[in-house]
Amino acid sequence: MSNFLIEPFERAWHHRELIRAVVRRELKSRFRDSFLGWIWAIFAPLAMLLAYTAIFTIATPAIASGVPIYDYAAASFCGLILFNVFAELAARSPTLLHEHVHFIKKSIFPSETIAWTSTIRAIVYGGISFFTLLAVRLVTVHSISWTVIFTPLIILPFMLLMLGTVWFLMALGAFTRDVAHLMVSIVPLLMFATPVFFQIEQLPAGLQPWIKLNLVGDYIAMLRDLVIYARFPSPWMYLGCVVASYAVFLFGYAFFKEYKSVIVDVL
Amino acid sequence: MSSDFAISCRNAGKAFQLYLHRNDQLMQALFGWAKTYYKKHWVLRDVTFDIKKGECVGIIGRNGAGKTTLLQILCGITKPTTGSVEIDGRIAPILALGSGFDGALTGRENAIIGGAILGLKRKEIIAKLDQIADFAEIGMFFDQPMKLYSSGMVARLAFAICAHVDADILIVDEALSVGDEAFAQKCENFIAEFSKRGTILVVSHGLDYLRTLCDRVIWIDAGVVREVGDPDEIIPRYKAAVRKDDEDEANAVIGGGEAA
Repeated sequence: MSNFLIEPFERAWHHRELIRAVVRRELKSRFRDSFLGWIWAIFAPLAMLLAYTAIFTIATPAIASGVPIYDYAAASFCGLILFNVFAELAARSPTLLHEHVHFIKKSIFPSETIAWTSTIRAIVYGGISFFTLLAVRLVTVHSISWTVIFTPLIILPFMLLMLGTVWFLMALGAFTRDVAHLMVSIVPLLMFATPVFFQIEQLPAGLQPWIKLNLVGDYIAMLRDLVIYARFPSPWMYLGCVVASYAVFLFGYAFFKEYKSVIVDVL
Repeated sequence: MSSDFAISCRNAGKAFQLYLHRNDQLMQALFGWAKTYYKKHWVLRDVTFDIKKGECVGIIGRNGAGKTTLLQILCGITKPTTGSVEIDGRIAPILALGSGFDGALTGRENAIIGGAILGLKRKEIIAKLDQIADFAEIGMFFDQPMKLYSSGMVARLAFAICAHVDADILIVDEALSVGDEAFAQKCENFIAEFSKRGTILVVSHGLDYLRTLCDRVIWIDAGVVREVGDPDEIIPRYKAAVRKDDEDEANAVIGGGEAA
């Protein structure tokens, strides 16, 4: 029983050298042939954050009424960071196995590591955005709340949620390309079901419990608590998210493992 | 527990799933527990053999006999539908050389990833990079993106990586037809050298080469093992069978032509 709970970690640890080598490769090759290189990784989120701040300041004072502009922009940006990690992974997962088909069919490549490498990569880019946000907070409100140091406790279970999602979509996407088209179509819509540009409390009371079922939204709310409002999320909410994410993680892994041997033959 | 056998194959069989409709694959994945959406197509049936440690074994058979599928099962790339395969030792498969490389990365970086796939630690690979570059004879290109490589250079690097992972079992799939004469000779020398300390499984249509290299050959015909034994006995019989098949086929074509 305990074996079943930690098996995905054991496999990842076993292949840690490979995961490390592939993550290194992906991070290095992304900006390889560009002159400014990694500056682009910082520039994109910075430009986005500044644009949000400007828009909310100039164009839509009504939305932001009652909330300090900088906090509003930062809260939206917090939402975007996590949502973008999810969106990138959800949109890309169904085609991941197709992209690695040569590795999988012609070499002894442990395909379950693809979920680890793509998730770590997405989290690293999210991390760059996150540190950009912290830097901008320093400039705009001259302080960062100390609760920020607990951010890893949010990110780790969030990673488990992402890994489970990637495994599931990866396996499903191997069987039919429709999954890829489906995800590309619905991911932008999911943004409206996720409190990215709004907060859960702004919704009608009847709708709130439903939106809370969206785990990504819960993580966004918890990240905002730590980073912007300098308070701890409700422990029950946190515990619920951890348990649910771990369940998704185990389910995703089990699903992938179940179909792994078949996938080689259908790709 | 360590056995005398490097590879032990017991009643291994492989059936591919043939789907009539593209979407049946998805239906099978979702509802496979309730209903079967495919037809089975057996490419290997009841394959049983043992390979002792240090043995050099050739696999012969016509195109489509199931040789590559057998190698894929032995490497663990695909699972056998029936039976079981036991491997004792680290495998280095020289299958379809270089297909896993990333053109944007340098040879050095690809070598590190290739080594990691084959189970080496980063330190171990880095210690061997010079030897790999040396063996591959690609000189300064080692630090250039692989998209600039000629196909011969890619193949040479791939072989060099496999040659330097300290494998116990080398699996060679028609790899020797790549590269120029000199490099092919180098690979053959390496394989001959390796056969003194490790186990080798080689698939090739170069029957004379197999005859000089191998201790035994396994003849696979239409997915089943037809004969196993001394290359000097089996290869002539295999050649005769192939010749007879070709003649039958030619006669059938001529016969069919006359009938029409």
